[in-house]
Amino acid sequence: MTIPTKQLSLTINDKAVGPIDVPETMMMQDFLYEYLNLTGSRMGCGQGICHACTVVLEKQDGSLEEMRTCITGAHWFAGRKIRTVEGQAKRDANGAITALSPVQQAFIEHFSFQCGYCTPGFVTGATVLLDQLKRNPVKREALEQVISDALDRHICRCTGYVRYFEAVRDLALKTPGLVKA
Amino acid sequence: MARKLLLAALAVAVVGALGAGAVFLGLFERSVVAREIEQPLSAEQMKTLAKRGAYVAVAADCYACHVVKGGAPWAGGLPFETPFGTIFSTNISPDKEHGIGNWTRAEFHRAVRDGVGKHGHLYPAMPYASYRKLTADDVDAVYAFLMSREPMKVANKANHLPFPFNIRQGLTFWNLVNLSSDTKTEVAGRSALWNRGRYLTDALAHCGECHTPRNLAMGMKESAYLEGAELEGVMAPDITKAGLARMGFDPLVFAGFMKSGISAQGAMTNQMFEVVHFSTQYFTAEDLAAMSAYLFDLDKLPERATPPAPPKPVAVSAEVAASARASYIAVCASCHGMDGQGIPHVVVPLATNASLRLADARNLNKVILTGIPAQRFPGLERMQPMPGFAGQLSDREVADLSNWLRANWGGQQPNVTAEEVKRLR
Repeated sequence: MTIPTKQLSLTINDKAVGPIDVPETMMMQDFLYEYLNLTGSRMGCGQGICHACTVVLEKQDGSLEEMRTCITGAHWFAGRKIRTVEGQAKRDANGAITALSPVQQAFIEHFSFQCGYCTPGFVTGATVLLDQLKRNPVKREALEQVISDALDRHICRCTGYVRYFEAVRDLALKTPGLVKA
Repeated sequence: MARKLLLAALAVAVVGALGAGAVFLGLFERSVVAREIEQPLSAEQMKTLAKRGAYVAVAADCYACHVVKGGAPWAGGLPFETPFGTIFSTNISPDKEHGIGNWTRAEFHRAVRDGVGKHGHLYPAMPYASYRKLTADDVDAVYAFLMSREPMKVANKANHLPFPFNIRQGLTFWNLVNLSSDTKTEVAGRSALWNRGRYLTDALAHCGECHTPRNLAMGMKESAYLEGAELEGVMAPDITKAGLARMGFDPLVFAGFMKSGISAQGAMTNQMFEVVHFSTQYFTAEDLAAMSAYLFDLDKLPERATPPAPPKPVAVSAEVAASARASYIAVCASCHGMDGQGIPHVVVPLATNASLRLADARNLNKVILTGIPAQRFPGLERMQPMPGFAGQLSDREVADLSNWLRANWGGQQPNVTAEEVKRLR
């Protein structure tokens, strides 16, 4: 028995990937794991609920969107650009990390996570949120609600959500242009 | 000659104006509340009736409309977006200032059955055209039950209705056209079960208010009884015997569906989720059987389930199939399964889903675009939220997907267009 495959090309973390023969029915998470060894996005529920598996979709207009890889087929991403958690930090020519992304740095400073399983999803979600705030700044009094609305679909089972929340709020307040007076 | 004509026209105008005035003043309104209802109920009667009234109120689904999420019980405040403006449900707790605490037995009866409240005419968002068929005993029971609740000091919200719809007395015209004085639901020669089912369907559960299309006068169109109607942008499906069979129900499965809200045909959504949540899940087994027997037009329910044959697939073009299959794998299959089988207790199946079998594709298209929130069903069942795919799929992709699903599993013609999908966004 052979599994029907289809060629897939896309851009991941600024690098062109493919064309690779990928089974037609394969989900994106499996493709990242099994074909590219990008294991940072976590398989949690496999049903699109926990959001541990999300990656950033970099759209043509430059805006960002969060996509769940466990419930989205790999071929949906054909021709599209994504950023996984492995592509968030700045790296040198040898691939060594030279600086964490602001979101990653804030999560470390705030001791936001314990076991870390949900963290790639939170990094993705918070990165997309900050990008949205850059495009559409919100009033200071709306900020807490905006953070809750954007991130409350991410499930964390050990440290709770407070430290993630505080990290994102501090970063939003510290970064110029995200919050209106 | 001209003068005679003018006089005649004037006479017609005057008679017409007098007639309209008489209607407006309510001179033609016929109450179905009997004179003996003026007699108040004794404290003893109220106590006994209240117990039974709890169930009658559930069967009539009063609570779903007379409460808002997180609001005080029975204090109303739920908005109804109508083509004429927004109407808010009212406080029917026994608070003397804001509720019905000062209402007599007869005043309550007239509100429920005639649509005329203590302070004026009700809007037909209150289903008094259906409740008119309630027995006096059942209305007494609901009255006694409501009067036994805690009074809630919650003021009623003002409706947002433009002139002339804000003139309550104008409802006399609607009532004249749409209210029947024939309130009997019993049909001689049919079983007690069938007759109880008819009473439940037409009077208590007021199914026709949503499932029967409205006529020009905005009344229920009797010639299309329960044949399905549009409601707040979605289709309340055809629930006639043929309509239910078309969706894949048989009498036993349907009775179970009204109890649990979940079956192979899918999970209750939109307003029917609320109906199951607040009302039908509490129906007695006899009442569930009765409602099903009546809707399937049977004098008794069969012993065994006899599911109707699945619809025959309809062919779609290779182009549509290729586009749809790719979308299905990309965003549907991981939850609904490659064969549309779903995941028990988590995600509904699609292969047997009623939404794919409706003649009108709107409900399916809307769900693909906007998704369904997570819902908790009776018996600890819980369906996970379905994401909307408006951002992931183009109008053409949604139309292809919808056509392919409906043709393959629903046996429907692939007639959804991208323009139709665009309008739903």
